[in-house]
Amino acid sequence: MNPNPKARPMRLLIVDDSNMIRSRISRVVQNGGLANVSLVGLARNGAEAVRIARATQPEVVTMDLTMPEMDGVQCIGELLRLLPKINILVVSALSDKSTAIAALKLGARGFVAKPFSDDDLRMALLDVMEAR
Amino acid sequence: MMDSLQETELKLFIDSVRRYFQVITKQEPQITSAFLGTGDVEGHDFNGIVTFSGSYNGHVIVSMPPQLVRELLLLQGETDLSEGNLLDAVGEVANTLGGNARKTLGAGLHISVPVKLHGSSGIRARVRKHPYVITLRWNHQPALVCVDMERRH
Repeated sequence: MNPNPKARPMRLLIVDDSNMIRSRISRVVQNGGLANVSLVGLARNGAEAVRIARATQPEVVTMDLTMPEMDGVQCIGELLRLLPKINILVVSALSDKSTAIAALKLGARGFVAKPFSDDDLRMALLDVMEAR
Repeated sequence: MMDSLQETELKLFIDSVRRYFQVITKQEPQITSAFLGTGDVEGHDFNGIVTFSGSYNGHVIVSMPPQLVRELLLLQGETDLSEGNLLDAVGEVANTLGGNARKTLGAGLHISVPVKLHGSSGIRARVRKHPYVITLRWNHQPALVCVDMERRH
């Protein structure tokens, strides 16, 4: 039997320097009807995200921008070099239009501004996953 | 050269605070006062500070009592109510308010990662002469947002 690759859970990595946000995104994914997603890691900064991504090969990433050590902009570049097909959803408080456009130009597939509702995040994640 | 921001410009932070509580708790806070104060600001126990650079200089401070931060966490489904997590949460609120200010003040406003301080006296040393102080109540709990920033030329 040939397994359908679309039926396999998508591997998700959550990157944010706030524990509150990492936990919240994780809860939305696990309790919010995104059954086809498997959480493979939580990273507190860009450098940690790159290390985890090397080991776990995520397909979807939620990415904060303002973080210590390596910020989200640099991390997006590193992740796309490492995993060119990765789908990145930026989740950031930098809610001005030019930041959102810059993130998309860098290769992110979507942008959610903080503060966000569970529904905002769920819909954005679904959009990004469908873009796979 | 530095230029003080006008009170009307600083009111964008009132909108940001309102929106934060509305989105996260589905309940707007009551803004109890908003004024240009003195450096003698009385804060609460949990404080998040984001520093501005680039086209502006200064910072925004979010100051909350532990009960309010706990309620914000519980409403988001968080069960870890340790001191570290309360500090993380108030830092994230400051990060959100600081980041959202770019929508009005432009992408030349750069924001730092949040610094977190435990203890009400910690913020006094950070505040200069005339900060813009917003006091609020949400669900019977007080909180304070202090904006102290200038435009660079």
